[in-house]
Amino acid sequence: MARRHANALLALTSSALALPGISSKSHAASPAAESQVDYRYSSYSEDDLSRSKTSNPDTRRYEIDTHQFRLVRPWGDEYDVTVDLLYETMSGASPWFITPGANNQPIQVMSGATIDETRIDMLASLRRYYGNETYGVSLGVSDEDDYQSINLGVEAQWDIDEQQRSYSLGIGYSDDDLEPTDGASAAFPDRISDASKDSLTAYAGVTQIINAQTTVQSSISFTRHDGFLSDPYKLAFVNGTTTNDSRPDGREQFAWFTRFRHFFTNLRAALHLDYRYFEDDWDITSHTAEAAWYQNLGDGWQVVPSIRFYSQSQAFFYAPFYGQARTDGFASSDYRLSPYGALSMRFKVSKAWAGWKLSMSWEEYDSDAGHAIGDVDVENPGLVDFSVISFGISKRF
Amino acid sequence: MQLYRFPFKAMGGPCELRLYAENEVRASSAAADARQRITQLEQRYSRYQPDSLTTQINMAAGDKPVKVDTETAGLLDYADQAYIQSDGLFDITSGVLRRAWDFRSGHLPEQQLLDSVLQLVGWDRVEWQSPFIRLPDRGMEIDFGGFVKEYAVDAAARVCREAGIAHGLIEMGGDIQILGPHPDGSAWQVGIQHPRKLDRPVATIALESGGLATSGDYERYMLVDGERYAHLLNPATGWPVNSLAGVSVKAEQTLIAGTVSTIAMLKGEAGRAWLAQLGLPHLWVDADIQVGGSLS
Repeated sequence: MARRHANALLALTSSALALPGISSKSHAASPAAESQVDYRYSSYSEDDLSRSKTSNPDTRRYEIDTHQFRLVRPWGDEYDVTVDLLYETMSGASPWFITPGANNQPIQVMSGATIDETRIDMLASLRRYYGNETYGVSLGVSDEDDYQSINLGVEAQWDIDEQQRSYSLGIGYSDDDLEPTDGASAAFPDRISDASKDSLTAYAGVTQIINAQTTVQSSISFTRHDGFLSDPYKLAFVNGTTTNDSRPDGREQFAWFTRFRHFFTNLRAALHLDYRYFEDDWDITSHTAEAAWYQNLGDGWQVVPSIRFYSQSQAFFYAPFYGQARTDGFASSDYRLSPYGALSMRFKVSKAWAGWKLSMSWEEYDSDAGHAIGDVDVENPGLVDFSVISFGISKRF
Repeated sequence: MQLYRFPFKAMGGPCELRLYAENEVRASSAAADARQRITQLEQRYSRYQPDSLTTQINMAAGDKPVKVDTETAGLLDYADQAYIQSDGLFDITSGVLRRAWDFRSGHLPEQQLLDSVLQLVGWDRVEWQSPFIRLPDRGMEIDFGGFVKEYAVDAAARVCREAGIAHGLIEMGGDIQILGPHPDGSAWQVGIQHPRKLDRPVATIALESGGLATSGDYERYMLVDGERYAHLLNPATGWPVNSLAGVSVKAEQTLIAGTVSTIAMLKGEAGRAWLAQLGLPHLWVDADIQVGGSLS
């Protein structure tokens, strides 16, 4: 019975949404009608390494404090401007290289000295809304002690009223320069003194409104990186000695991303399901699946539990350590190129009232060879577990 | 930002636009566009105007099919869905029952007359093959009056939103669409008319967005031998439905809110359970003026 009645509402709503007085432009993109300011603070903290996996007496890892500001402002009838600022301070030790221990069990060696770094990131974007068309340009810069990046992007979106569909296309370019700390110094004579890389990304997507409660979005993207793609701070253990982390100087990546959104009118809740497929010419294939439940509780309260699963295969040249050098000269023991899987759980609660919104979230991330799809022979000892706590406040005016 | 109010009359009742804007020019220009849209819908769908589309379709009953524009086709598709989802209670051909019922007369209709008029009621017999509509029998009529006012509220709201109005509301004869809360973020307090004491609200509801529509038995009715006969007629029997005095429904679109409240009234005793199962926020007032529902 209940099911039939829920469908009655669905049937009426989908007929109503086909009406020009209701739908058509009501889902077309339009400039922000109000200004909005957001601030969020996040505290990211990696769990200590287990004693059995590291040679260092100090098992502490990375901690990152992040402050994010965002301002969205309408500008005339056709434009809006968004400015994002990020300030981050990082400290701690990170994986340096892996040595074979007893029975060839891999032992992580961490960077000895505590790394202290700050990063400032700024992104400004301008969008123009022109009937059913939206055009955007963006310019971003990122600055760290040892790293500078500048990036540019353009994008366009078209809304097709009759089909309740929109198409988007975009390209982005990024130019990065590295000047590793202590590069070519007496302490680290083999560390490079400077390097650069650039990246070009193109993407295309489509969003379809199925009915008033359901939308599906799907996009593909292609990225090409060129230049120095190795990690200047990491080493690999090859044939009894350490050598610089060394990766190919080109990388092509393909990704397919699909999102499904369904709103349950009766429950005042929405289900978000996301899936991402990724592959690159370093032989890494990954799958990400995420489910989130947005529950409105009334009085401006909302809770969002979510769960994410991730699994990747290894890069073709990766090994925890090498018995002898590869003929192609590549070597990397970075856990991010190793085969592993991860599970993370997040819980967010927010309260909105009179133009204000306060939110708080907590996430636990756990990576493990056991979470991977398929068997992993040797787990990278540097795999990270972390937790993130964030507080946010935003105001519309 | 300042609040500008534009009261006017349309579709047989008092209407008002309440728009927040930076200046009067912006508010007036949005209000003028919205009123023009409402007038356009009124002229096209009125059954009183001799050159309206409704009149054209009704005049061609028993004769050739009439080709309609996209918007009208959308409205007829919507009416078709409402007919199906209400098990035939929401029927845009039931307006001819007026020929048997004269609510100013104080007299009940002759059953014989009612039976003959009932022959002309039945959306299921209308030949609707978008974009062509044909009423099979002479004397049959369709009437958009049961939902075009609510649709006009949504359409006027869309015009205002496109003009950049993000705070305000549209009201036509008690049916409302919110453009956005007051600029300070607070909700609009909307009073729902008392079905018997018409000068005071039976409830006040806070609205920040979406639509609200009300159907009541007080809009047109007569008392015969102390019995109340309202204009809400069951298209199967031709007789008024009694049990609920009023139903208000909140939905994203005012059109949906209006259709759901009308169907709930027509369902009579079963209306309350149907509303509860449908899940939209609602409020009902029964014949004893007991108030209930998820908004009460």
